[in-house]
Amino acid sequence: MSVRELSAREIAGLVKRGELKATEVVRAVFDEIKNNEKKLNALITIMEERALKRAELIDEKVAKGQWKEKALLGVPVVLKDNICVEGYPTTCGSKMLKKWISPYNAGIVDYLEEAGTILIGKSNMDEFAMGSSTEHSAFGPTSNPWDLERVPGGSSGGSAASVAAGYVPLAFGSDTGGSIRQPAAFCGVHGMKPTYGLVSRYGLVAFSSSLDQIGPFTRTVEDMALALDVIAKHDYRDSTCWTGNRPSYSEAILNANIKGMRVGVVRDFMEEGLDDELAQAVEKGLGILVENGAIPVDLNLGDIKECALPCYYIIAPAEASSNLARYDGVRYGLREDADNLLDQYIKTRGKGFGDEVKRRIMIGTFVLSSGYYDAYYLRGLKARKYVCEKFKEAFSNVDVIVMPSTPTPPFKKGELVGDPIQMYLSDIFTLPVNLAGLPGISVWMGLNSTGLPMAMQIIAPKWHEVRILKAAAKIEETIGACPLAPGGE
Amino acid sequence: MVSRKYVTVIGLEVHVQLKTNSKLFCPCSSDYIGAKPNSNVCPVCLGLPGTLPVLNKKAVELALKMSCAIGGNIQKESRFHRKNYFYPDLPKAYQISQYDRPISFGGKIPIRTADGKKFIGITRLHLEEDAGKLVHATSDGRLHGFSSSYVDYNRAGVPLIEIVSEPQISTPEEAKEYVLALRKLVRYLGVSDGDMESGSMRVDANISMNEEGQPLGVKVEVKNMNSLRALQRALEYEQKRQMEILSSGGVIIQETRHWDDVRGITVSSRSKEEAHDYRYFPDPDLPLLVVSEDLIEKMAKSIPELPWEKKERYLFEFSMSEEEAEILTSQRELAQYFEEVLASGAPVKPLVNWMKTEVIRSNKEGKFDFNNPEINPQALAKLVKFLDEGKISNTAAKDVWLVMLDNKVGLEEAMEKAGVTLGGLSAEKLESIVSKVLDQNQDVVKEILEGKDTKGKKIKFLMGLVMRETRGQAKPQNVEEMLRSKLHG
Ligand SMILES: [Zn+2]
Repeated sequence: MSVRELSAREIAGLVKRGELKATEVVRAVFDEIKNNEKKLNALITIMEERALKRAELIDEKVAKGQWKEKALLGVPVVLKDNICVEGYPTTCGSKMLKKWISPYNAGIVDYLEEAGTILIGKSNMDEFAMGSSTEHSAFGPTSNPWDLERVPGGSSGGSAASVAAGYVPLAFGSDTGGSIRQPAAFCGVHGMKPTYGLVSRYGLVAFSSSLDQIGPFTRTVEDMALALDVIAKHDYRDSTCWTGNRPSYSEAILNANIKGMRVGVVRDFMEEGLDDELAQAVEKGLGILVENGAIPVDLNLGDIKECALPCYYIIAPAEASSNLARYDGVRYGLREDADNLLDQYIKTRGKGFGDEVKRRIMIGTFVLSSGYYDAYYLRGLKARKYVCEKFKEAFSNVDVIVMPSTPTPPFKKGELVGDPIQMYLSDIFTLPVNLAGLPGISVWMGLNSTGLPMAMQIIAPKWHEVRILKAAAKIEETIGACPLAPGGE
Repeated sequence: MVSRKYVTVIGLEVHVQLKTNSKLFCPCSSDYIGAKPNSNVCPVCLGLPGTLPVLNKKAVELALKMSCAIGGNIQKESRFHRKNYFYPDLPKAYQISQYDRPISFGGKIPIRTADGKKFIGITRLHLEEDAGKLVHATSDGRLHGFSSSYVDYNRAGVPLIEIVSEPQISTPEEAKEYVLALRKLVRYLGVSDGDMESGSMRVDANISMNEEGQPLGVKVEVKNMNSLRALQRALEYEQKRQMEILSSGGVIIQETRHWDDVRGITVSSRSKEEAHDYRYFPDPDLPLLVVSEDLIEKMAKSIPELPWEKKERYLFEFSMSEEEAEILTSQRELAQYFEEVLASGAPVKPLVNWMKTEVIRSNKEGKFDFNNPEINPQALAKLVKFLDEGKISNTAAKDVWLVMLDNKVGLEEAMEKAGVTLGGLSAEKLESIVSKVLDQNQDVVKEILEGKDTKGKKIKFLMGLVMRETRGQAKPQNVEEMLRSKLHG
């Protein structure tokens, strides 16, 4: 069995027992990357030297009988390029930060290193996480490993592709409106957005602070739980990080039992605007859960599907316009010199940002402007409250909700770039979950009739990732773990 | 033409730098004065991508303390907003401040006016972070006619409270008194150094004028007043300027004007960059600031007797004059020393005299530090008691005081060094001094004996010499008697 086929758990086990050297893992990973990166373009920064050094250290420790308690020992990991690693660029897929070297580690980087992982590289993404196809990257688009003509989804497309193609068994992305779950669905891997506040945002370059959350991509549910065990920690450096106790996710899914679990299905969501085969995939997933003892419940979530998109495209750009204002050419990143300050700002930001980012900064600036604040931003907040209330109501009757991850299978490169609204619509099922701060997973549901990946989304009330993992584990028992994509060979 | 009477309406916005160890949202020191530029910074206060603010609890406590002291209505839940604008000294391109939900509303501060005591109402008090500083320089290092600008972020993120007064200040003199009262208060509370020159206290003014009985006039904001004197001068200038415009039928333009201390005028600063729309919105990185009842109580209990309360008590309890009470309560440490000496048995009246003359003078000369009194309260109490009981003269007491200060010795030793004995001089000692003076001034003696001292001036001269020699320890009538008996006997 080659390294690329191993799960994170398997690698950690082998490395701990001394049956596989971390250095062998790293070599295999970089062979894989070298063979495939030209067609995939999944990574922006490759950290080969750092990874080798780290692997040597791990092998040394293992030889001395140390570090055996580390849950992810020797596991190669890819991070989305908006997560800071000390001494390395964090480009956010933008010209603006192309040369910016982060002087500090993100919270999750510390946690991952503590758990024994080996950082391999930083993955491609839509600029500042704004997009659903990874085409809005200053470093070129990433290809879908299942069909190189198609997009991997976005904005964490590089991370999803890295896992699907078998570079690594574990990668991390950030999800603001679906940026983990949608590319997971498109690339045929599992992807989870945890509850807002479960994982530290310290060191995640902000897009929309009240929506952003870091989460894992894996090919098995077991790895997903293992990853959550490592990254779901309270971090005092993030004031929005939850102080409550996190359970052991790995333990919780051992012999998962979902008997009596009430599974809500939103019938409205299954009608128009949804690909037939994806609708069938959700029915199939629901069927599997019911076979395992779950109780199906039909749900009505009111108008959240209609109001989530406009609401999201007020709140997220508003916060983004403020979060991205610091890129002014004064302290770091791109600077275009000019005769006066105003021109320096205009030239720097004009050149540093791509169209999609500019579009959202303009929307955000507009909705916060005096005179428009009440009509847009305040109404956006009201709509957000409505979405939260509808979910709350729903969760008084059910334990989890299943729904599609995306309305369509992966689309072709270039297909939607000129049509922002259609592009935004590809997150229609994931956006509401962010607005309500809920946890959600996109779980692999096999291939459709044309050989493209299918998925289903499972969501739960806040802090109930365990329910999601249990349900996902049952799905995986029937459907199987995510296979490696052919494009990554 | 009928002469019209104009009323001045002034409101002040005072920024006070809080005396915390660290900045408002990061662990950097808040003591930046004299530090090498950009040495007192970290990723958070530089606003580097991915960083997040963590609220300094001490700053909240100091703000609460101040709110309690002015009788503000403390908000159990307050909130931080982002104030968005581009300027190079603002690392994130937004300032974290408070907007519609500040830490407290209301309160008042008593000030002295020509007509007696007056209360100035407080509108609100809120917490916010400071910005960095711009330094402009020419290529040869001169600051005038600059060609380049540098930014120093050492001050960025230092905690401030902004105290906004009601427009209840009627004269520039009252404005000065208000700032003086505020300064005294923050120093009493240990909340701030309250130093206008170094910038730990900054004052902006809003001033308008209207005809008596007419609605309020258009207000002008005046900035850049770096001392109490500048504040008063700027407001006086503005008063005159507005009056001239109004009485000649002109209209006041609502604008911001900068005080030019050298030219002694205010200058309009109407520039494009100043036409801000701050696009305030709640900072999604910071949760609501919830203040517990316990903390408010704790802060309320930590408040010392306030300067104006102390003054009232001194007036009442010790029958001090207004001026005496003002002087003795001007600094908390001075008042504390006074009370300690009093508690050590010093009689009130002579002690008050001693404090307002000798202690204040020694302090001004840098010989006596209220914070760390060189002379223990018991020693001064004894000295003042000796003085009061007539055991030593005023001059002798001053000598002893200075010897104690200069030589850092106790009371007994100082008396010995100063040649001061209790109960004044012995008859023999006085006699020997008189003989010595007469010996040394034989010409004067001769003139007196020749009857040339018709106006008694010469004998007064001799008396003065003797008194000086005795350091005032002799009673004048004794000296005169002794002189006359020696001269004529
Ligand atoms: Zn700092």
